[in-house]
Amino acid sequence: MLDLTTSVIRNLDLGHGNYLIEFGVPDSIQQMKPAQFFMIGTPGSEPLLRRPYSVCGLNGTFPDNQRGTAQVLYKVYGKGTRLLSGLGKGAELQVLGPLGNGFDLPDTGRRALLVAGGIGSAPFPLFIRHLAEAGHPAPRMIYGARSQGDLPLLSWFRDSCEEVLLTTDDGSAGEAGRVTQPLERLLEQGEGERLHLYVCGPDPMLKAVARLASRFDVPCDLALEAPMACGFGVCLGCVVPVHGDDGEVRFERVCVDGPVMPAQRMAW
Amino acid sequence: MVDLSVELGPLKLKNPVLTASGTFGYGLEFEPFFDLGSLGGIVSKGLSPRPRHGNPPQRIAETPAGMLNTIGLQNVGVDAFLSEKLPKLEHYDMAVLANVFGETEAEYVEVCKKLDGAPGLAGIELNVSCPNVECGGIAFGNDPRALASVTAACRKATGLPLLVKLSPNVTDIRETARAAEDAGADALSLVNTFVGMAIDVEARRPVLNRVSGGLSGPAIRPLAVHMTWQTYNAVKIPLMGMGGITCARDALEFILAGASAVQVGTSNFVTPTSAADLVNELRDYLEQHGFESVRELVGSLQVES
Ligand SMILES: Cc1cc2nc3c(=O)[nH]c(=O)nc-3n(C[C@H](O)[C@H](O)[C@H](O)COP(=O)(O)OP(=O)(O)OC[C@H]3O[C@@H](n4cnc5c(N)ncnc54)[C@H](O)[C@@H]3O)c2cc1C
Ligand SMILES: Cc1cc2nc3c(=O)[nH]c(=O)nc-3n(C[C@H](O)[C@H](O)[C@H](O)COP(=O)(O)O)c2cc1C
Ligand code: FES
Repeated sequence: MLDLTTSVIRNLDLGHGNYLIEFGVPDSIQQMKPAQFFMIGTPGSEPLLRRPYSVCGLNGTFPDNQRGTAQVLYKVYGKGTRLLSGLGKGAELQVLGPLGNGFDLPDTGRRALLVAGGIGSAPFPLFIRHLAEAGHPAPRMIYGARSQGDLPLLSWFRDSCEEVLLTTDDGSAGEAGRVTQPLERLLEQGEGERLHLYVCGPDPMLKAVARLASRFDVPCDLALEAPMACGFGVCLGCVVPVHGDDGEVRFERVCVDGPVMPAQRMAW
Repeated sequence: MVDLSVELGPLKLKNPVLTASGTFGYGLEFEPFFDLGSLGGIVSKGLSPRPRHGNPPQRIAETPAGMLNTIGLQNVGVDAFLSEKLPKLEHYDMAVLANVFGETEAEYVEVCKKLDGAPGLAGIELNVSCPNVECGGIAFGNDPRALASVTAACRKATGLPLLVKLSPNVTDIRETARAAEDAGADALSLVNTFVGMAIDVEARRPVLNRVSGGLSGPAIRPLAVHMTWQTYNAVKIPLMGMGGITCARDALEFILAGASAVQVGTSNFVTPTSAADLVNELRDYLEQHGFESVRELVGSLQVES
């Protein structure tokens, strides 16, 4: 774990409040696993707390990156993300990482199916690269969002995945409705036996996908979000209820015990 | 070479910078960031007789220059602290204080007895002020008589240096400060978090699951400095000041107001090295201003009469 002072190399505006920021990182950070994350602080005393962001890309994830960099895909929500979006080349960042556990590759005989909701697609570029490097076939992806503009990096995903199934709440791109619709159809066709679901997005989506995974008995890993103060396990602010091995419900920390947790452990 | 060492009654510290309970885990979590031996000491997460799961989420909310928490005193329990955490801290040259709480006086005493004589433990800090859990301290910290009683009972239960950590959620902190002093506390820590609340106006619901929580961070610093000054002028025992400290200048406010030592809390979350950085900044300040010892500064505030 490093706390490094680094600087912005570029901060690409992808439209509709989505940005891809790139900053310099030392070699050790290049070993990060997909869905591991950083706590990033911007210059100035406000906001007080750093914000958590998944690693989106490292050397070689995107063709046009400089070497020795990391990329974070983010959407502007409030103070912290707005400040980040205003930073230009050379601006200073405080970056703590790598944090959390990250996605593991699927077991032999199973293929990754990525399920992303909007900005929840952020951890998947690095994951797709990891799959390719490990000799796995390009994964399929179900990518849903409120509207057409909320599907950042869509063309990159289309180039890098075997297939991208789109859904939007308003029907402006792909199928009108939720990611669970195409997912349920796939699982009803009996595809579940050969799949491992990797899911990242808003809580209601995670819950709905977890229910389907349980109904069809498909392995399913969720990349969770929680409000965080520290990101490295000391504040105990980021807990979620999970079923322990003894069957009892307990609280675990999303920042160190997660952010990736198997869907069947959740005690929502 | 400036002298950073301080004494709070029987508690001797090589420098006046500690980390506050609940913001530094059990210390070990910070090993990747700096040498724990550079600190004057650390205070453990609040310990209860048995492990506690704490409150359901949402447990934290950021507020202007601060944060609210309702962690609910989640902890490993005193037994696990003694067997798993404390032995790993023994080789560091710094003071380990155990923060203790209970739902009844008997529970405080039970934990103090277990801690008494533990190798490598430098002292006990009683959390009589945590506003989070229904019976977890609020009655003790806000009622001078209950506070005196629990302090006296713990005083009997342990020969270790005993600090009482005061709640700021009182009308006059001097009353509870005197009650703790008279009951045998060696020193006082102040302050714990202020009770606060944040509301999500879109959902029209409280942000925190438990509605209200403890406010910490720079937002509370002026309040905490004021209470340190008030208490310094009301009691004779030494003080350990805290509330929103992020750097040496913040710490010096408390020291000038009468604190012999300080604790760094919420700032550990933002900048994991902040307590260690503070030690160096404090040394620089003393050198630059020509002081030989930090003790010269304690309570040295100049006030026009
Ligand atoms: C492990 C982890 C990884 C993350 N990775 C990424 C990432 O790669 N890219 C990214 O853009 N975000 C990511 N997030 C979420 C990101 O941390 C938040 O969006 C960010 O903290 C918001 O900060 P802010 O100051 O802009 O908003 P705040 O001022 O803190 O919040 C503004 C408003 O937005 C709401 N809000 C905040 N975050 C979200 C959210 N995620 N979804 C919906 N509403 C929200 C708040 O409730 C509040 O009402 C991640 C979170 C976690 C825990
Ligand atoms: C997340 C969190 C957990 C805390 N847990 C405890 C605790 O277990 N016992 C205790 O006495 N104080 C606890 N505190 C209070 C701090 O020790 C400290 O008194 C307070 O936060 C003010 O200092 P600060 O503004 O520097 O954080 C906690 C504070 C925070 C933010
Ligand atoms: S964010 Fe502090 S423990 Fe997880």
